[in-house]
Amino acid sequence: MTSAEDAIRWRKLVEDSFRREIGTQGALTDSHADLIETGVLDSMGWVSFLRTLESVSGVNELGALLTNVPPTLENIFSALQDARFSADTSDAKVLKANPSTRPSDVLITHSSAALGSRIIPSAQVDLAFGMPEGKLRKRAGIESLAYAADGENELILGARAAQQVLHDAGGPVQELDWIIVTSETHRGYPSLAAQLHSQLLARETCGALDVGGACLGLLNGLAVAQGLIVSRQARIIVVVTADVHSRLLTPGRVAGEFGGLFGDGASAFLLRAEVGAEVRAKMPQEDSFGAQHSYRLGEFLFGCVGQYAGAIRIADAPEGQLALHFDGEALSRAAVTRMEKVILDLESRSGFPRSSLQGLATHQPNPRLVALLAKQCGLAADKFPVVAQTFGNLGSSTCGVALDSILRATQTLSIEQRRPIFLASLGPGLLFGGAWLELQRG
Amino acid sequence: MTKLLITEVTRMGPAFCVIGLQRENQKIHSVRPVSPNTNGWMDFPHQRGDILQCELTPFPGAKPHIEDRVSTRGFQKDSTVSELETVTYLRKAEIAHSMRELFGCPVHANKSGSGLYAIPGEATRSICGTETRNLRLEFYANELRATLVLSSGEVLRDLPLVDRDWRDFIDAALSESRGANRLGRLERFLNSQFHYKILSCPHHFIRLGLTRPYREVCWLMLDTLFPLPKLEWLEEF
Repeated sequence: MTSAEDAIRWRKLVEDSFRREIGTQGALTDSHADLIETGVLDSMGWVSFLRTLESVSGVNELGALLTNVPPTLENIFSALQDARFSADTSDAKVLKANPSTRPSDVLITHSSAALGSRIIPSAQVDLAFGMPEGKLRKRAGIESLAYAADGENELILGARAAQQVLHDAGGPVQELDWIIVTSETHRGYPSLAAQLHSQLLARETCGALDVGGACLGLLNGLAVAQGLIVSRQARIIVVVTADVHSRLLTPGRVAGEFGGLFGDGASAFLLRAEVGAEVRAKMPQEDSFGAQHSYRLGEFLFGCVGQYAGAIRIADAPEGQLALHFDGEALSRAAVTRMEKVILDLESRSGFPRSSLQGLATHQPNPRLVALLAKQCGLAADKFPVVAQTFGNLGSSTCGVALDSILRATQTLSIEQRRPIFLASLGPGLLFGGAWLELQRG
Repeated sequence: MTKLLITEVTRMGPAFCVIGLQRENQKIHSVRPVSPNTNGWMDFPHQRGDILQCELTPFPGAKPHIEDRVSTRGFQKDSTVSELETVTYLRKAEIAHSMRELFGCPVHANKSGSGLYAIPGEATRSICGTETRNLRLEFYANELRATLVLSSGEVLRDLPLVDRDWRDFIDAALSESRGANRLGRLERFLNSQFHYKILSCPHHFIRLGLTRPYREVCWLMLDTLFPLPKLEWLEEF
């Protein structure tokens, strides 16, 4: 991006964030005017505007750059330019010192999903939890749930998804540098990543890493994988999610209004560094992975909205019970509001308007909330793949199964027809995260 | 005549807002004396801990500012209690352990940027005390903001600190007579000694308040932060 294009992009980010604060109809003020003295913003609005700008620009501590200067748009442009210049300078120093650290693009080349083999009508789950028949369908919009069959668990489902991507890629598992795994239900040791490492018979020097985050786990895993590849610590990584709720959130341990929402499933994604066509041609034997998809990972944004920390809490209780605190109403409200905000921030940061998206792989606490989110965002419901309605809330795998569904749908499209994809998810805390996938360059 | 223990003097813009504690039928509750014409006071010469004699009449104020009372005569100082004693009384007044309990209603996060608010019709009061697990002050783009964790583990971010004594302290810390690099020194103080002084104090306590309704919402503010700042702290940075 040229510096002129860069300047235009920054200016647009500032203007978009400013309009978010004052309302979309508000006219832009004179860029030299003092925003507080002229009454355009009060002090609450000023700080709120800067926080939005930090989120969409990725420039943290904007406040520190604006201390001792009047609150004007011009000073913000200048602060952003300074922040950008200093980041560019430090990047340039690193690259000069060690050209091999030049970052690479990270591609998602293959994906897969595996669901619990038993598809149970939600009415049956209602009865098992002692709720009136039809409650899950009427209240949450859940028609059926995917439950693990006898002999299926996190390891079996996760391995099934991982083996599928490795099979589709046609590459030997020995080329994997890392196996990154997330699960909100697996307990005990060896960890799920270690068990998957053995199950897949990865080479001994392939790393195995478990990451947390519950329903945000997939995004955490992808971000870690991107970091490892960009920093040249790894070339090929498989990221796996696997969750079996039906053995943890059982009738008698938790209320049906909570436990009844969840199903079982897994997903897997193969990530690799993008190499240029010239390099690829020169070393065709270096790795044998082909590419099923043509998307590269964009940027991530993460955070934690601690004021909702109390909305959901689960802890072990005596005699094998679970102590669950679940304020469904507060959590639903927070979930929709925050995911909408993540989508808005992704839109600003990526430059891709939501109307241009192929789809959105988001967390799906229940189908009603997905419908509400679509409505709030002004998007057609079919931009969100059907996951929770048929399989239930799959925890960290919800986002994975949704992403796999969107990626598979693009395979019938020509490259020109494919569009960017947004990822957005939440975890207890309230953790949030978002990212985008865009088409591979060239 | 009513006896009122002054517990809060807050400053936003040019006006002061005053809150005190009143004992009624063995119960201690908060009362906000307002002048007959406005909600704030352009001049308030008394200090926290002062016990004032005053004449207060109920005021049909809109929710959630149910603590409003019209002051029909001037204030007359009766006596003074210590900071520690003031906090002891505050702990016997309105108190909450979680965000939901603060104002008897849900607290919402600002959709567009930062800040927390309550809906005027939902909130059942506009002032409440609470304990914190941790608290941080930040001077952000010329605005003083607090971020804190309640005992429930819930985090409240970017609350404006409107406590008059603390705002005066920050103004004094940044006054030109204090020499060079004042902002950097203040930030270092807020990140180190301040943290220790506040959290290690046995009577550390805060009160949170709601602003008057503005565009149909009431924003959360950090009204009072105990311990109060001491001028000699300025010599430490």
